[in-house]
Amino acid sequence: MSSGPVSALTVQEPSHTPRPALSRSVTGTLNGSSSSLTLQAKKNTVLKSHGRPPWYGEDGKPICDAFVIGIAGGSASGKTHVARRIVQSLGSIPTVIILSQDSFYKRHTPEEIELAHASRFDFDHPDAIDMPLFASCLADLKSCKQTNIPIYSFTEHQRLDETKYLYGAAIIIAEGIMALHDPTLRALYDLKIFVQCDSDLMLARRIRRDVKERGRNVDGVLEQYLRYVKPSYDNFVLPTSKYANIIVPGSDNNVAIELISTHIRRQLNERATRLRQHLVGPRDLISQSAIPLEAHSNLALLPQTPQLKGILTKLRDRTTKRGDFIFFTDRLSTFLAEKATEFLPYKPRSVVTQVDATYNGKEIAAKCVCGVSILRSGGPLEQGLRRVISDIRMGSLLIQSEASTGEPLLLHLLLPTCIRDRKTAQDTWVFLLDAQIGTAAAAFMAIRVLLDHGVLPEHIIFVTFLVARSGGIHVLQRAFPGVRIVCAAIDDELREMWLPGVDEGDGKAVTEGRKAWVVEPGMGHIGDRYYL
Amino acid sequence: MVLENAPSSQTTPAALPPSVFTLPQTAQLEALYTIIRDKDTSRGDFLFYSDRIIRLLVEEGLNHLPVVPKTVETPTGATYEGVGFEGKICGVSILRAGEAMEAGLREVCRSVRIGKILIQRDEETAQPKLFYAKLPQDIASRYVLLLDPMLATGGSAAKAVEVIKEHGVPEERIIFINLVRATPCEQGPRAGPPVCRELGRDLGLRSCAPARITTHHQIQGAA
Repeated sequence: MSSGPVSALTVQEPSHTPRPALSRSVTGTLNGSSSSLTLQAKKNTVLKSHGRPPWYGEDGKPICDAFVIGIAGGSASGKTHVARRIVQSLGSIPTVIILSQDSFYKRHTPEEIELAHASRFDFDHPDAIDMPLFASCLADLKSCKQTNIPIYSFTEHQRLDETKYLYGAAIIIAEGIMALHDPTLRALYDLKIFVQCDSDLMLARRIRRDVKERGRNVDGVLEQYLRYVKPSYDNFVLPTSKYANIIVPGSDNNVAIELISTHIRRQLNERATRLRQHLVGPRDLISQSAIPLEAHSNLALLPQTPQLKGILTKLRDRTTKRGDFIFFTDRLSTFLAEKATEFLPYKPRSVVTQVDATYNGKEIAAKCVCGVSILRSGGPLEQGLRRVISDIRMGSLLIQSEASTGEPLLLHLLLPTCIRDRKTAQDTWVFLLDAQIGTAAAAFMAIRVLLDHGVLPEHIIFVTFLVARSGGIHVLQRAFPGVRIVCAAIDDELREMWLPGVDEGDGKAVTEGRKAWVVEPGMGHIGDRYYL
Repeated sequence: MVLENAPSSQTTPAALPPSVFTLPQTAQLEALYTIIRDKDTSRGDFLFYSDRIIRLLVEEGLNHLPVVPKTVETPTGATYEGVGFEGKICGVSILRAGEAMEAGLREVCRSVRIGKILIQRDEETAQPKLFYAKLPQDIASRYVLLLDPMLATGGSAAKAVEVIKEHGVPEERIIFINLVRATPCEQGPRAGPPVCRELGRDLGLRSCAPARITTHHQIQGAA
């Protein structure tokens, strides 16, 4: 599947059979040399080069929307090529989605499907596309929310019941022949591009592609072209070029693409500068609050019993062996998880006991409960959560801080299905797990991700071993006052230091040394001690 | 130095002897009890949720063990004024129901030694009678966590405590852990005196439950 420009289509086509030529084409160019194939961007997928830097300010709110580009143009005019070249020339842009209009074909009636199979359905008409859905998905993505786009099967000529989850792109490129047709869609674009291509060239490309790659005969291709493709282009596609900010030639367009990507880069740079002004570096975080942390109603500290102090002593001790460390970590995480479940909602429930008496008890009133751990350090808390809710759905976020700036980067996310869907996310309670809250940068980002998905702040319970009194906890609480934090201890210090690499004594390094903010007295690097 | 009168996270209702500690009655705990009381609860769920309560009970029970101040150095070179565990422990389960609590105990106290006691009612005298006791050799030097999910008349519990004391364990080193306990006023006609009164300084840990459903039959059938 990876050979040839069609590979991009596999995202939305479950079957490998070439789709009928009647359908709208989205393949790339005729001159797609094999060397450029590796750089081809998959459609309807979040493409990442490196992690996603913060997209929100100190107040916890997103600072700017994603940058949205609309690319329209005739069939086989080279829209996808232009989109891919833009992505390619932007180089180090963290996250990009190329959204294809083809995903938004309407759900068809049986009669329409029959017509489609007989090549008598006009797929090139604007009415064939579910514009309101297209616009709402695009609007979600633009405002940094998740969306679930439909999947259209060209073999069945029908929209499938499954949807594809997309989240977290800084740049969105929507492309399709009708991309500039709908006024609601047009209102969403930051940049509108029309790919202008000579009709003869488009037809030539189309014939070559359909004959060579899809085994169609020339007569059939021409008939379809004359019946649907050409009238549609003249009546609906070409007129939308007047809405475009830039008209790009369909071939030899290197200069145009260079200009476009320069423009986009400048726009993104401006946004990044604005963002940096809003963001707080760890050094600014030392802003002591007047109220002691312990008095904060949304921070639940485990009762400081002798056993708890004993466990913490074991965990803090540098001489504690790995086996003991893991055992006591699991024990403490279980205890924390038990404490955290106290904050779930409960409702009355009557049951009949074995001796046929009625007992008026309670049950959890949350529709969906799941866990999300911030990797790697959140991992040690998973065991405890599973001991408390054995079948809990677990998701994860990989957030790492960038070595040079200390800025957190979202590298990967895998969320439970109940959060992926906006409707169920509202009724979902989430245990967010991380070993400690130091600068709170990762916690901040993780909470923002959950809020972007529609989880209510009051439904987020952050479970952690340690909170640094002088760290980012204050900023976190100010930005997200509804989020509850459950911790085992509050430590006084937070300082930046060089964490030396650990080696097993035989010269082989287990971890590399690195600069990091550490909580003190703390427990050292909990992830390293638990896993390495 | 041993810290005396270890503070506990628990409360003692006024009507109970001071040696009885009850877990905080949170909605979450109530929900756990609702599941294990429900006769339609599956065996797997019953075991899972009773284990959760047992873990909480054992964690609380361990708070009654002494600790000593201990200063440690953290991996980042800071010092921490903590505490170290003091004194060895062992578990003793009263067969058969007590065995159900062993897994929960082991999850909190790895590789803990567990002794067993079998007590049954003597059909002639109607008194609890010791049938079997296998206890760790050095039990006299240990703190004992006595495990039995149900406390109704307290007959077998009192007998078990007696046996453990005979093995040289002072009463104040016995921590009795149970899931449900009948309130004295609601006990049936055959009920003996409440065990905690009889045992004096023994620390009974319990979670409240209406007496009418806390018969031996129930737990033994279910566990």
